[in-house]
Amino acid sequence: MKKYILGRFIRSIFSILAVVCIAIILVYTLIPRDEIFKVDPNFTKLQGDSRTTYMYARWKELGYLDYQQQADMCKAYSDDYSSCMASEGDFEEVVKAYENDGYTIQTLKSGLVFAYRNYSIPELVGRFFSNLIVIDNPSAVQDSDNPDLERSYYIESGPNGIPALKCSGCQYQYQLYVNGSFPFIHQNVIKLNFGISFPTHSGVNTLEVINRGQDKTKSEEITFPNGSTGNSPINLYTCQYKATSTLDHLDESHFDDNYANCAYNYTAPSMTTLSYMFGILSLIIAYAIALPAGVMMARKKDKWQDKLGMVYINFMIAVPSLAFIYFAKQIGLMFGLPDKFPQYGFSDIRSYILPVIILALMSTASVMIWIRRYMIDQSNADYVKFARAKGLNEKEIFNKHILKNAIIPIVNGIPSSIILCISGSVITESVFAIPGMGKMLPDSINAYNNNMVITLTFIFTALSIFSLLLGDILMTIVDPRIQLSSKGDSR
Amino acid sequence: MEDNKFTLVGIQEGASEHIAAPHYSYWKSVFKKFFSNKIAITMLIIAGLVVAMAFIHPLISGYDPAVNPYINDRWRQFLRPSLQFLFGTDNGGRDVFSAVWYGTRASLEIAVISTAITTVLGVAVGMLWGYSKKIDSFMIEVYNIVANVPFLLVVMVLVFVLGPGKWQLIFALSCTSWLSTAYFIRVQVMIIRDREYNLASRCLGTPTYKVLLHNVLPYLISVIVTSVARDVPNFISYEVFLSYVGVGMGAQEASLGYIIQTYAPYMSSAGYLFWIPVGVSALISVSLYVVGQALADASDPRTHMN
Repeated sequence: MKKYILGRFIRSIFSILAVVCIAIILVYTLIPRDEIFKVDPNFTKLQGDSRTTYMYARWKELGYLDYQQQADMCKAYSDDYSSCMASEGDFEEVVKAYENDGYTIQTLKSGLVFAYRNYSIPELVGRFFSNLIVIDNPSAVQDSDNPDLERSYYIESGPNGIPALKCSGCQYQYQLYVNGSFPFIHQNVIKLNFGISFPTHSGVNTLEVINRGQDKTKSEEITFPNGSTGNSPINLYTCQYKATSTLDHLDESHFDDNYANCAYNYTAPSMTTLSYMFGILSLIIAYAIALPAGVMMARKKDKWQDKLGMVYINFMIAVPSLAFIYFAKQIGLMFGLPDKFPQYGFSDIRSYILPVIILALMSTASVMIWIRRYMIDQSNADYVKFARAKGLNEKEIFNKHILKNAIIPIVNGIPSSIILCISGSVITESVFAIPGMGKMLPDSINAYNNNMVITLTFIFTALSIFSLLLGDILMTIVDPRIQLSSKGDSR
Repeated sequence: MEDNKFTLVGIQEGASEHIAAPHYSYWKSVFKKFFSNKIAITMLIIAGLVVAMAFIHPLISGYDPAVNPYINDRWRQFLRPSLQFLFGTDNGGRDVFSAVWYGTRASLEIAVISTAITTVLGVAVGMLWGYSKKIDSFMIEVYNIVANVPFLLVVMVLVFVLGPGKWQLIFALSCTSWLSTAYFIRVQVMIIRDREYNLASRCLGTPTYKVLLHNVLPYLISVIVTSVARDVPNFISYEVFLSYVGVGMGAQEASLGYIIQTYAPYMSSAGYLFWIPVGVSALISVSLYVVGQALADASDPRTHMN
């Protein structure tokens, strides 16, 4: 059993890597790289040389190519920097050196040259995965202006009074801390880095875009590290090292060290939280509706309840999801519910009702059809006949005997319903303009936000693969008779 | 009991060859069963009408989404449905009736071609996959890696990469869904491949392709029909959704999904513009789904007994 789970786990990791690998190769090679500037507001304002340098700088940032300006080139290879910058002295040799390394040399209108080299496919993938996992350590910060920086871990109580593992010399000040928000124990040691988002949310790490709060910042009365108090939205747990040269007056009035680059608290949840909230709520409602309905259909097989249920199931499967959502939305409008999420915003409960109900109804059909099937299959089993012979009434037989056996495959399906929630949420979130992960996918596709597409591919794939694994493990826990590792030969 | 009450009859060679069984023809029984279902016939008529309109009307109207001769005719804009314009006109003065049937044709084409590719590829690979142990051990690993990935995500990334267009969408839809059809067929083949008559065939030295084509394939017809019946409405639904979020069809092939996307902003001001294409898309998939289900039921030989 342990061996099987380990094998499955390794395979799951492998599938995620394979899918992400393919996504990277497709996105980075097949989409013309000029496309990313289509919706970039800065790009249209630039002209001539500044436009060219802007383009190459962005491409370097996004990992398309390596780009060196003349200054970088001269710094790296030339003995006489100023004569090299004037295209004299050993300039020719510098250019030769770059050309030998496979770089292409181009000349700007101003006469300066720059060199670039496109990454090959193995390099693209290699660079992505080598940058993927960032482990924070006390020697992570390199700041020449602050040579006396202490480099050590220590335990000190955080802003909420609970002791936390802090670090001096790491990128993040708080390495391990406990607070009241889910999942209660937080870490900043291992971070995933999928690159930066561009052109939407330009320059911000993609994971941060979907994980940071939304709407307005939330100010609270807090005590800063140097003892002063004030009304501020700063979240002290997220503080990162800020280079001494960039520290300003405001930072010095609040902080006594260099850890002054902090994220803010927001009034509304992040895209991820919002999507999970919708997903989990709708899943609970879906099972609350579908389980009793499926049991009822099995009990009243071939009666009107069963037929009505079958009509409903066929309707849900056959009608395009988009048509169903708009249909349900129109009914919701009659009850005064908003047709777009931002109409009432995050704080109003009316914004949530309609999307949750629609998401729930969309996943009821498959649960109903399966629970009915399993219950009918079980109802001819010997133990059911025995229960009837004992004189139990139908209700007891169905609820106490059959349901317990029929629920096993349903338990297996609960985690994989999360997958349905994902694809369902893409549609629902787009229609209701809910700022969640599901809407982010088509949005980033339409904006050519390549890194964001890859990030979301990774997250959705990982989620669905591990939820399937979890479903199988859950099934063996519910029913110990089931063994995942097969014994014997089945041809 | 007197001997003269009996006459001697000679041995009739023919009678011993005759097997006393009612005449049975598979396809006749399928159609008999199918046409006994009233709802299925109604839906077949509706589906037939929609398909006929989608393929004939664009030929008559000569509608072309790229050309709009009425763009400057202000009087033609946003006309409500009337006898002259059955589905009204849109913001550019175009006749929505023509636009909807043009879009329906594009959507149907995508769904039908994708289903054909998916089914042919899926059945061919699935039969080999289920029959051969060697292919199975390899393919099951491929399936385990690919099947866990959300289908819609892969299609969206593929269309994003390939760009909008009919053939790109068909490619994206069929290259991601054939594997699940193949897996579905594989399970069915595994169930019947070790039946006695197949073992007998193999003992007699029948080549594998003949066993597959003559012994296994006829058994799969109802399974294949079920899978086709599920795929066509699904693909229509996917096309509508993908074009709606802007990663499906471009303006060249103004499919139903594209029409719904362009008319969505007028939902409150001119509701008919939005609801008519949505209704047509629902009508096609529901009617095709019901017809497909009835056909799948009818093609299962076990239902022919009564």
